[in-house]
Amino acid sequence: MDLTNLESLKYFYPEIILSGTVLLLVILDLVIQNKRVLAPFAALGCLLSLGATLQLYGTSEGWLFHRMVVLDNFSLFFKVVSLLAVLLVIWMSVGCHEIRQIYQGEYYTVLLASTLGMFFMASSTNLLMAYLSLELVSLTSYILTGSLHHNRRSSEAALKYLIYGGVASGSMIYGMSWIFGMTGSLDYAVIREVLHQGEANRLTLFMAFLFILSGFGYKAVFVPFHMWSPDVYEGAPTPITAFLSVGSNAAGVAIMIRFFFPAVSHLGEGGNWDFIPGVEWPHFLLMVSMVTMTLGNLCALGQQNVKRLLAYSGIAHAGYILMGLVVLNNIGLRAMLFYIVVYLIMNLGAFLVVIIVSNATGREDIEAYRGLAWRGAAVPATCMAIFLFSLAGLPPLAGFVGKFFLFAAVIKGEFYFLAVVAIINSVISLYYYALIVKTMFLDFPEPTDQEVAMTPTVFPLLLILAIPTVFFGIYWGPLFHYTNQSLGFFIK
Amino acid sequence: MAIGLTHYLVIGGILFTLGLFIVLTRRNAISILMGVELILNSANINYVAFSHFSSGNVEGQIYAIFVIMLAAAEAAIGLAIVLSIFQIFHTIDVEAAETLKE
Amino acid sequence: MTHPYFPVLMIFLFAGVIVVSFLFIAQLVGPKRPNPIKSEPFESGNPPKGDARIRFSVKFYMVAMLFLIFDLEVVFLYPWAILFRRLGLFGLVEMGIFLSVLIIGFIYVWRKGALEWE
Repeated sequence: MDLTNLESLKYFYPEIILSGTVLLLVILDLVIQNKRVLAPFAALGCLLSLGATLQLYGTSEGWLFHRMVVLDNFSLFFKVVSLLAVLLVIWMSVGCHEIRQIYQGEYYTVLLASTLGMFFMASSTNLLMAYLSLELVSLTSYILTGSLHHNRRSSEAALKYLIYGGVASGSMIYGMSWIFGMTGSLDYAVIREVLHQGEANRLTLFMAFLFILSGFGYKAVFVPFHMWSPDVYEGAPTPITAFLSVGSNAAGVAIMIRFFFPAVSHLGEGGNWDFIPGVEWPHFLLMVSMVTMTLGNLCALGQQNVKRLLAYSGIAHAGYILMGLVVLNNIGLRAMLFYIVVYLIMNLGAFLVVIIVSNATGREDIEAYRGLAWRGAAVPATCMAIFLFSLAGLPPLAGFVGKFFLFAAVIKGEFYFLAVVAIINSVISLYYYALIVKTMFLDFPEPTDQEVAMTPTVFPLLLILAIPTVFFGIYWGPLFHYTNQSLGFFIK
Repeated sequence: MAIGLTHYLVIGGILFTLGLFIVLTRRNAISILMGVELILNSANINYVAFSHFSSGNVEGQIYAIFVIMLAAAEAAIGLAIVLSIFQIFHTIDVEAAETLKE
Repeated sequence: MTHPYFPVLMIFLFAGVIVVSFLFIAQLVGPKRPNPIKSEPFESGNPPKGDARIRFSVKFYMVAMLFLIFDLEVVFLYPWAILFRRLGLFGLVEMGIFLSVLIIGFIYVWRKGALEWE
């Protein structure tokens, strides 16, 4: 179906609810003195939006708003993922000391606006919408990163993020302008038809893709567009770091899949996608994937700051996720979606423990974790061990299953070299994850190390994140089924 | 020789390169933001030129309008961040404002 | 066959040559006897006051930022105004929603005191 503006509205409730919540938050912030109600209000808006999203499952798929955005299982999947991420981050923010210094109204408003941008990143089927949604997420991320008052690291991180982001998205629209010039349209469906007629110059097309990748790659943190991430992750308030590392990363992957699969490839037999003949794009992505995971892991080795370490580990994970794109079939894409969900849970969990420790000690370096298990924080330390081993990909945790699917897709696609590189990387990553676990359990605390206590709001959240990490490692069937269903692209 | 699509594309390319050059070489935060604006406007020239010469619709011009809008939003946020940098570091030299390191 | 714009190019070239050569000749033959009064900045004949690079107050940046944002909404009003009759009621309502979002932003700015000069 191809709906006009008014007809589209009834398939658009998640976005409408979220936009309404954003506007109401601005007004509430002006009239209400007690700022503590804002976080529950924001969470309520997200829950309503989540409900509306789930309602949309089973309705017909199609283009909305004159082919600007598309409603299909793929876009619904990423709406659910972004909403889960933002709900968990709101919960994390409530128990975080750092966030209490920030203006609450602005914080939650901008956070939800960013989520709205992620919705559109996954569902846009027009180059203009893709750019607008990416910028909506970027601009809000700059604000959130720099939101700590009179904090050197926060302001500096925001400036770096802004400069990198500006150049990356500028290059992206420059590349998009070439695509527009070659095809005469901004609409993904038309672009695919014209490009597959095969008149466009191959080299020009490759260059245009390269420019476009700079925009997508900077959102999804691929080398060489990763330079901002360690500084931004270290300088931003920790809940925002967590949000950027899972939410904006997932949205970057989503916009990339949406562009490189339904927009420029043909779906062939048996779930294989045919890329434009003559453009060596998949092999280029293969290189990017290998360099990204290797560089991320090698840089993570010497890090003393845990947030910075998780930033580099995030780069490495972006490399793993990219593996699913290289094989150009639905098996790879399904593995990517599965890994995104798993990564969301375990990475948010790891950042939650970072928040717990920094609430108690005010520190983020690895020394602050010395003997954590013996300083009244046995539960957070155990959970952190679960999250880190899951990130490293050890069985029987969810991270292992996610990596298994990715590796299986790569091996089935006969990219053996890539699989070998990825396995070597997993071994390297085990070293620095295990180092933190060793510091928490085997090192004994010095007398100067403070006790680490948890606030009551944090404890249930910790369990909510730790239990699925173990559960999906043992019984992944439902999640796998869900990601398999989510691979429905509406093409025509 | 009439002025055609190629001329506009060359201008766009030159502007893009200049913008990138400014971002890479300048140390003043405001200058860097100006470089970013140049990059955005190079894309704008391409869009309007393609829209006029080859596509036969106004989609490219609409795109350019939105890019102008977003460039302004980005400049506003950039100015705000530069102001807060200035309040803390008392300079807008990006290399002096460098504390995050390995 | 010469192009119709060829003379224009010649004019530009000629102008360029003249400017460069004048600068060069002045540099070459002109006497140079600097003194402090000569080399101070020119401010319409008055003795210069203070440094040329004065710092503007933060308030100017604030106003500039807000102006930038609210000024650019007009970019969207123009295309709408031209197609006003064709878009009809739907366009009017859509523009109403767009403007009301902006007005909420404006109220926010106002209430937060960003428009106060002092």
